[in-house]
Amino acid sequence: MTVALINASPKVKGSSSGILLNDLKECLGNKVDVEEICLRTSKITAEIIEKLKKADTWVVAFPLYVDSLPSHLLACLKQLEKMTWKKPNLNIYGIANCGFYEGNQAEPALNVLKNWCAKAGCAYKGSLGIGGGGAIAVSGNMSGKNSLRANIYKAMKKFADRIVKKEGEANKYATVAFPRFIYKIAAQNSWRKMIKANGGKTKDLNKRLDVELTDTSVNKRIVYEQ
Amino acid sequence: MKLIVTDIEDFDFKIEGEHKVINPQGNIKHCIGCFGCWAKTPGECVIHDGYERTSLDMGLCDEMIIVSECYYGTVSPFVKAAQDRAISYVQGDFIIKNGEMHHKHRYPNTIKLSAHFYGEDITEDEKKTAKDIIEGNAENFHGEFNGVYFYKSKDELKGLKL
Ligand SMILES: Cc1cc2nc3c(=O)[nH]c(=O)nc-3n(C[C@H](O)[C@H](O)[C@H](O)COP(=O)(O)O)c2cc1C
Repeated sequence: MTVALINASPKVKGSSSGILLNDLKECLGNKVDVEEICLRTSKITAEIIEKLKKADTWVVAFPLYVDSLPSHLLACLKQLEKMTWKKPNLNIYGIANCGFYEGNQAEPALNVLKNWCAKAGCAYKGSLGIGGGGAIAVSGNMSGKNSLRANIYKAMKKFADRIVKKEGEANKYATVAFPRFIYKIAAQNSWRKMIKANGGKTKDLNKRLDVELTDTSVNKRIVYEQ
Repeated sequence: MKLIVTDIEDFDFKIEGEHKVINPQGNIKHCIGCFGCWAKTPGECVIHDGYERTSLDMGLCDEMIIVSECYYGTVSPFVKAAQDRAISYVQGDFIIKNGEMHHKHRYPNTIKLSAHFYGEDITEDEKKTAKDIIEGNAENFHGEFNGVYFYKSKDELKGLKL
């Protein structure tokens, strides 16, 4: 049995999708053969097709973009829908990771993948929706088992077992192994670090293109939940 | 101002009042996930191909209307690329709203968001997904959901008044 691990993050390196697929690969162990594929542009190349053809199961890992799939992945899926070499009853699993803490915010996007399966004649077998993607991205050199990905790794192990058995199940959701308020603060700090590294100032983060920076009345008017 | 984002190249529908149309004018580049629009050149995408300031258009509009081919319950790659390249309509910082995580406002306006989807065989599941996604977008933009509508073809759209 051959499983195609498809990384559909547009990032060249360091994607959370890639880290999650590595965890999955580890969980799959030597029970299956694996084809690793990157979909970073809007075009399905002949080389990608050759790799996809070998697999009887595809796992599509992607970042949640504006509650949906990244645009280049939609373009790729359209091309793949029409391609007739796909095995009948090809098994499709998804891994959607999102910047928000709650993995279930990826549910509508996973339904897009499910709807694609219906049109493309593939068998949708259920997915993982994973929150806290920003933290996953900086945890690449930690082992999945006992790091901030511990909860996700547990879900991944079960997911891998289902893939090997070609079993289907409802989507499962998981998130990083620390509280939401810490994730929120960590994100806040990382934007401040990044803008400074880029030669800007913290206050640039709320820059509007239509007014002077000194007008912060917008932000003062809005009271957020804690 | 009404902001129309559509994949229709020869878009010539009747639009009442002040408006701006964003539609394919040469190739649009897709988002590369760099977050430069939040923490390098805040409010603006780092890829300069004519589509880098859509988030400002969003900041200036009171209504955003998507007119798109339906792709499995979501918008087409052109409309999606325009959307992905415009996430700096909000800031990177997180906030909590109705118990869920979302992003902080950058602009003070409230967008009424609707979407008109066309396509030959849009399934009931796709319609449901499309509604969920556009509702999710409205929530994430701190806007108001203003409906999703479905058409069997581009031709059927012709009578549409926006
Ligand atoms: C254009 C764009 C849109 C995004 N939209 C969302 C979103 O709607 N919800 C969310 O939770 N995260 C969103 N994110 C955050 C990504 O899903 C998150 O950073 C993810 O971990 C990236 O995964 P990757 O490293 O595999 O590309 C968005 C990111 C970008 C660049």
